[in-house]
Amino acid sequence: MPKLQQIVGFRVGRENFGVPIGIVHEIVRMMDITVVPDAPAHIEGVINLRGKIIPVVDLRKRFSEPVEPNRRNRIMVAELDGHQVGLVVDAANEVLKVNPELIEPPPNIFEQGELNYVTGVGKFSGKLVILIDLAKIMQRGELRRISDFAETAGVVPPAL
Amino acid sequence: MGIFSDDRANELRSLFFDSSQEILQALNEDALLMEKSPRDPEIIRNIRRSVHTLKGDSAACGYKELSELAHAVEDVLTPEIAGRDGEALAELVLVSADAFDNLLSAFRNELQPPSTAPIYRLIEAIRNPHPQAAFAPGFLWTEYEQLVISRSAVRGQNVYNIALAIDPACPMRAAAVQLVRNVLQEFGSILVMRPEENATEIPDIIEVALASHHQLDWVERKSRIPTVVSKVCVLLAQQLPFVDPDSPLDLPPSPPAAVPPAPPAPSAEVPAGLSQREQDKARAAQAIRQVFERPRTRDERLPAATENVIRVEAERVDVVLDLVGELIIARSMMQDLLNEMNRALGNAPLRARSADALVFQSQILNKLQRAVMKIRMVPVEQMFRRLPRVARDTAKLLGREVNIVIEGENTDLDKSILDALAEPMMHLLRNAVDHGIEAPLDRAAAGKSPEGTIRLNAYHQGNQVVIEMSDDGKGIDLPRLISAAVASGTLTAEQAARISDGDALDLIFQAGLSTSTEITEISGRGVGMDVVKAVMDRLKGTVTVRSIPGEGTTFRLKVPLTLAIIKALLFRVSERLYAVPLGSVMEILRTRESEVHFVDGQEVLQIRDEIVPLIRLARLHPGGERKSKLFIIVVSLGERKVGLVVDRLIGEQELVIKALDETLVTTELVSGASILGDGRVVLILSVSDVVEKLGRGFGTDPRSAGAHA
Repeated sequence: MPKLQQIVGFRVGRENFGVPIGIVHEIVRMMDITVVPDAPAHIEGVINLRGKIIPVVDLRKRFSEPVEPNRRNRIMVAELDGHQVGLVVDAANEVLKVNPELIEPPPNIFEQGELNYVTGVGKFSGKLVILIDLAKIMQRGELRRISDFAETAGVVPPAL
Repeated sequence: MGIFSDDRANELRSLFFDSSQEILQALNEDALLMEKSPRDPEIIRNIRRSVHTLKGDSAACGYKELSELAHAVEDVLTPEIAGRDGEALAELVLVSADAFDNLLSAFRNELQPPSTAPIYRLIEAIRNPHPQAAFAPGFLWTEYEQLVISRSAVRGQNVYNIALAIDPACPMRAAAVQLVRNVLQEFGSILVMRPEENATEIPDIIEVALASHHQLDWVERKSRIPTVVSKVCVLLAQQLPFVDPDSPLDLPPSPPAAVPPAPPAPSAEVPAGLSQREQDKARAAQAIRQVFERPRTRDERLPAATENVIRVEAERVDVVLDLVGELIIARSMMQDLLNEMNRALGNAPLRARSADALVFQSQILNKLQRAVMKIRMVPVEQMFRRLPRVARDTAKLLGREVNIVIEGENTDLDKSILDALAEPMMHLLRNAVDHGIEAPLDRAAAGKSPEGTIRLNAYHQGNQVVIEMSDDGKGIDLPRLISAAVASGTLTAEQAARISDGDALDLIFQAGLSTSTEITEISGRGVGMDVVKAVMDRLKGTVTVRSIPGEGTTFRLKVPLTLAIIKALLFRVSERLYAVPLGSVMEILRTRESEVHFVDGQEVLQIRDEIVPLIRLARLHPGGERKSKLFIIVVSLGERKVGLVVDRLIGEQELVIKALDETLVTTELVSGASILGDGRVVLILSVSDVVEKLGRGFGTDPRSAGAHA
């Protein structure tokens, strides 16, 4: 029996996603997000997480899903490269213990640029869960447009 | 290094990285002094001490490349060589300081250390100006080999460093090495030998560390192998404490069986039981050892006076400062609560008592905050002292003569601010040497001393620190600057015609502008000055420049004392909360929409007899609505005044600044954020960037600025 992997499952739109539990710091209820003027488009704003100010990304917008505020909305706080980031998701409520052997590598189509944030796919407790790499999601630009991946990070036309 | 646990070793290394920076700094400074007076024995001693400390510390951390290089450099730092070729030696020290620095950063980042071969060649050239006459054994044993050597000494054997010059006439050099090996093995055991067995390249000198029961002159006699070896040098190799060769030797009364390794006793240890001649020899060997000096005892390296200084990682202080910040937030929570209680309970006696308690707590908190902030304060000297080297290198490259005068170096400033200032100051300094100070002949022609002077000064001014750099060079060529700005499209011809001298000088901070016709290695690409500006903005500081043609240029950098806590003015725009540093606010006024006028497509307001351009902060967000009553916050930006239009004022408050995650939230408009007592986040605007982006700066089309917002 291989060692079970723990995965935090969350929902954005109709899809179920999963990330390794190790990178998830905590999950908090939705709170007021302070909009930061002139910040990159995918940064929703910042929140006060018990005295720490952390940036927030709305995964619903990131995945082009409609934003429908409801009581189940959560901010999932993840730690990426030593930086804490809040991710707004439609719901996040389960920790799945999965057998790594049941995780399949992403289908070929996912290896292409626009979807390369998918690291694996598995069917757990009757649901299809897409495992994703959050670091890739935090990169600049739209997720589904190939052209944006050619963009060198940080090259933004100087605004006058 | 198996001696230490990983944690201990890591701690040791990070300590070493910290302390090494100071050593390198000292090296640079001393080398500059040495250039001026190459024969000063005190300076050479200081440099030796620095290199020596570096050697010992790096060896302890297991950085072999560094300790070996330091050892080699230390070897040539002798009064004799300094007397012969002091300038080359000073150059070597400077070049080595750079090499040490490169090695250190490679170690720190766990990269492949860069090659040090060029330095070794330099050392060889200095050691040996006439390579033919070379016979100067270095005995550059590695740390491990040194350990082996000292172990053997503990076991009661004499250890000799033997250098044998292979006879140039000897036809079979590889065989000669083998022969030497065989001979030496007959009367002792070879601890180390260079070249090693089966080495392909045979040097001119064979170096051996030999453990033997025989006496020194016996070993020397036996080592002279006719037709194979032409020169022999045998030195006693045990670690002996440093001895002043002029002081009389104290001979121990009874002959001990062995020489103790590195005894801490200050008395000289000459192997007893030797004849008078042998004693003389040993004494001579000790004198020579000053050249090949082994580490002295650690205590000797510490400064004589015990300093009451603790080295603490900046991060640890930051944690305390953060906690104090949280306390301040907690205090404003209490204050909010008390205000609410006032409204609910009226004049209950409990209310007054809790107010008293809160005031008391606030006072302590203020003291605590000041005390912690003081820990972070360091003297400006830490940055200033790096600059003479930069000036010297730049001046040397460009054929200038520059004298640096430093004042106010004891002015304290927050360490993080000081660190951030280092880069812009270097830019300014290089620029001053390159563009400011004229070539010596030109200076003489202008009736100035051939040597230019650059003055660095620092002083407190209220809650800010001013850092000035002035040169007595030729000043900034304004007409040329303006035409360069027109040529690059930064300025229209029309604007150029009307521009004031002050505004024109500010042009040098624009990206891509340079008055230099040629691009040098140092400066002239028009980058650099905009970097200065960017850093100053980030630090919530300002930079201004004054220049008088023919007399010189002065840059004035003004930064807040600390980045951690600021007094700020809070206000609302489109129902969103913002703050600006109170230091930049000149006045606050109310006005009506009808008072706002348009001049040149720019909204302005007449304040007394001044026309002040307005910037509507509602443009920070799309869809901001207009109100008939306006609040105007007049801010100053250097010489300029700008009115920020906001919806509602909230008041003045002390804010604990928290940085935004710069890797993700990249915005120039916001310089930081803070958390209010009720948990709300308030964004602190970077006034100069807001004015630049939303306002109409030089050559900026107001429409494009608007579109950007």
